[in-house]
Amino acid sequence: MATLEQPKVRRAGRWFDVRHRKIGMWAYALNRITGIGLVVYLYLHLVVLSTLSRGPGSWDAFISLARQPYFLILDVILLAGILIHGLNGIRIALTSFDVGVKRQKALFSGLMLVALVALSAAALKIFGG
Amino acid sequence: MENRLTNEMMENPFAQEPKASSSWYWQIFTGIALIFLLGLHFIANHFIAQGGIRDYADVVSYLRNPIILVWEVLFLIVVATHAMLGIRAIVMDFGISAQAEKRLSQALTVVGVLTVAYGLWLTWAIIH
Repeated sequence: MATLEQPKVRRAGRWFDVRHRKIGMWAYALNRITGIGLVVYLYLHLVVLSTLSRGPGSWDAFISLARQPYFLILDVILLAGILIHGLNGIRIALTSFDVGVKRQKALFSGLMLVALVALSAAALKIFGG
Repeated sequence: MENRLTNEMMENPFAQEPKASSSWYWQIFTGIALIFLLGLHFIANHFIAQGGIRDYADVVSYLRNPIILVWEVLFLIVVATHAMLGIRAIVMDFGISAQAEKRLSQALTVVGVLTVAYGLWLTWAIIH
């Protein structure tokens, strides 16, 4: 575990190392990893959308890129991040208002199962057309 | 209250003192709002739209719908707020000084406002 004797940066970075940790720590780390990923995506998304200001030509060029199979894999990764972060966020919101605190491990597992099912369904739709 | 503080400590094992901050509640509030704001944004633009993405003319007519416009602008503001609060929480874990915290908040406010301003400009440019 992180102790106060360790340097600040190493101590603060310890959340990332989930080996030998309990499920709560996994939930915490997952939420942060997906959160950081989604912030990076948000800015990528805003930059990509700027092609819309340059008219139909550049946007349609992006659309044909976005429909390539390898690009669709990125969509599935994005959806995984959104589902994990959003559904885990529901658990955090509930427990912040003292709802389901004692059952949050089961809640987390259940929500992640929902994420898995939703992701599978979305992946089938994305690749199935 | 005691329960909530214990819970916050469980969520964040590096929290130095158990206090329920207003930014934590804003993070929760914007998070709940995002379930709906992002949900509709995603379904409308990537599931209902033909081929998972709108072509140029379709984007323009979509954003010219006033209800959609309000919804998307609200989404922009709320997602930028949620993102800035999230970055703040991660940096705060490094145990920064009160002065650094103040500067961090100011810097993130500027970044957030610039992000929203860029999004508004882009929306305006697309509609016109």
